[in-house]
Amino acid sequence: MSEATSTTAASSAARQSSVFKLTFRLPIIIWQSLFFIGPLCFMVAMSFFIVRNYRMQEDFVMKNWLKMLGRDYFWDSYVLTWGLAGIGTVVTMLVAFPAAYTLAFKASEAVRRWAIFMLIIPFFTSYLVRIFSWYVILAESGVINAGLSYLGLGPFVMLNTKFGTVVGYMTLTLPLVIILQTFALANIDRSLVEAAFNLGCRPFRTIYRVILPMARTGLIIAAVFCFILSFGDFVSPYYLGGSKPPTLPILIVDTVKSGQQWPRAAVVAVVMMVTLFVVAFAGIMAAYRRRVG
Amino acid sequence: MVAPLVEFRSVVKRFDDFVAVERVNFTIEAGEFVAIMGPSGCGKTTTLRMLAGLEAPSEGEVLMEGRVMNDVPAHERDTPLVWQSLALFPFLNARENVEFGLQMRGVAAAERRRRALEWLDRMEIAEFAERDIASLSGGQKQRVALARSLVIEPRILLLDEPLSALDANLVIRMQSVLTKLQRELGITFVYVTHSQSEAFAMADRVVIMSRGHIAQIGSPKDIYRAPANRFVAEFVGRNNIITGTVGKATAKTVTIDGSLGSFTVDLGQHEKPRQGDTARFVVAADLAQISTAKPRRGNAIACSLISEEFIGSVVTLFLEAEDGSELKVQLQERELSKMDLKQAATIYLSWAADQAHYIGAD
Repeated sequence: MSEATSTTAASSAARQSSVFKLTFRLPIIIWQSLFFIGPLCFMVAMSFFIVRNYRMQEDFVMKNWLKMLGRDYFWDSYVLTWGLAGIGTVVTMLVAFPAAYTLAFKASEAVRRWAIFMLIIPFFTSYLVRIFSWYVILAESGVINAGLSYLGLGPFVMLNTKFGTVVGYMTLTLPLVIILQTFALANIDRSLVEAAFNLGCRPFRTIYRVILPMARTGLIIAAVFCFILSFGDFVSPYYLGGSKPPTLPILIVDTVKSGQQWPRAAVVAVVMMVTLFVVAFAGIMAAYRRRVG
Repeated sequence: MVAPLVEFRSVVKRFDDFVAVERVNFTIEAGEFVAIMGPSGCGKTTTLRMLAGLEAPSEGEVLMEGRVMNDVPAHERDTPLVWQSLALFPFLNARENVEFGLQMRGVAAAERRRRALEWLDRMEIAEFAERDIASLSGGQKQRVALARSLVIEPRILLLDEPLSALDANLVIRMQSVLTKLQRELGITFVYVTHSQSEAFAMADRVVIMSRGHIAQIGSPKDIYRAPANRFVAEFVGRNNIITGTVGKATAKTVTIDGSLGSFTVDLGQHEKPRQGDTARFVVAADLAQISTAKPRRGNAIACSLISEEFIGSVVTLFLEAEDGSELKVQLQERELSKMDLKQAATIYLSWAADQAHYIGAD
């Protein structure tokens, strides 16, 4: 009898705690379904709609997909976006590494704290504003060309070029990547680095023999973030890259503008989403793979 | 004269305001097993790290075979260190860890592999060669760390409390592995530890450090039987330290008067102290005797029993003297069982005059 009572009490306690847990989880579930999964499903559905007389109608046709994926300009744009985001990621990771290395290994605790704070400050200002400030620097009569003209060089065209786009991407990603890399490096057990020296490893060689393998997870996550932010960015390729040829985000805007082609824009968006899913997934797999061969 | 393998010449190491090592002088000969022992923060690990080139001395010189090593970077020294955390590379397997040092020395892949496997075999862990470090047990990791350091055939091996994370049984096993290795290889081991039992069990010579200074250097027996000062006597433990003022003194013996009574102690190598100076002497707990009747001759202190600590065949009794000071005596369990201490109101702790060890004022 008493056993039965205690079982009932236990199960009701379990039920209570599961209700309790659910209450905590509910807000995030509602938020995610309303603002992420819902719109995502709608976007996928929309890519099968049709547009008649500049009005979108519900339907289920493959026409948008065949039209977009059959066009060379779509694939040109796809390759361009990949290339620019890829180059941006490589350059950002390389530029960020010496800074992160210095902050993680050479700087004192206080310097590191201040540096992280300074790296957060750029995010106080709108990204768009920061991009416009590059006009002053990169323009043909801008700061850099003025400086170079003293040396008898230039002027170089930097605005409305791929170079400009990458500079824009880096404005967005560099501070974040330095912060992520610094955390990845700062977590490395110092005795492993010392053990490498102790066994005869020269300091520079230690970077790729010990530090890079140890920081692999954090560094790959930083690169994935960098790529995702660049790949989906509209502002830099539009204002600094001159939008011609268009990257995928610009293509989305152009497609919507020309004849209210929301469904075709949705096709581009879905392709981008799938690409980023694959990149993020591959990145996470590589980051958490147990051993390097 | 052949220069010693290692020599520290008035070495000082400062970290900002903190002095970790203060004017340390000592030498280590080739083939010795030296333990550097002391409480945490005494500078023993810093001393070892200066030998490995992982810290630079602030003052003084560290020499190896007569050569000043101060400016030789860590990666150009053959002074492999076994870390307390072992510091094995988790992204390499056991064999690759062992190969690391050989690879840095430009040994060809096949030769590298052969020598690594040979060492893993010697450490009796050949079957784990291709295993991840994370999948090895504490004792196996220990053996990988030793193999990784020894495969480069150094003349000296540095060990920084490598056994402190292992359980008691494994510590004993690894101690015999280490002593056997050291004897077979004939190379120098410098072993940093806070554990007296580890140091005494393995080392030929023990360096005891306290607050950056060397408190005593000597064989385990010297340190145990003839502590040079109060710090060593207390650190070694199981010693009764009795303090008083110098009364009558001759060239050989001295009378020390204190709250526990008046005792005559051999001076040993010490110089004759001045009358009225503070002086101390040590009676090792295992050299003291107890009785329920007052001994007719010799030095004795009347005490009462506070508690006893029973560890197998040996029992330590904790006694309180009339002035409140605590004294210890260590004896065989079978000796103790013959006595009836529970009934006795007073217990006399006594010792033969030549078994007290004079340590002077400090």
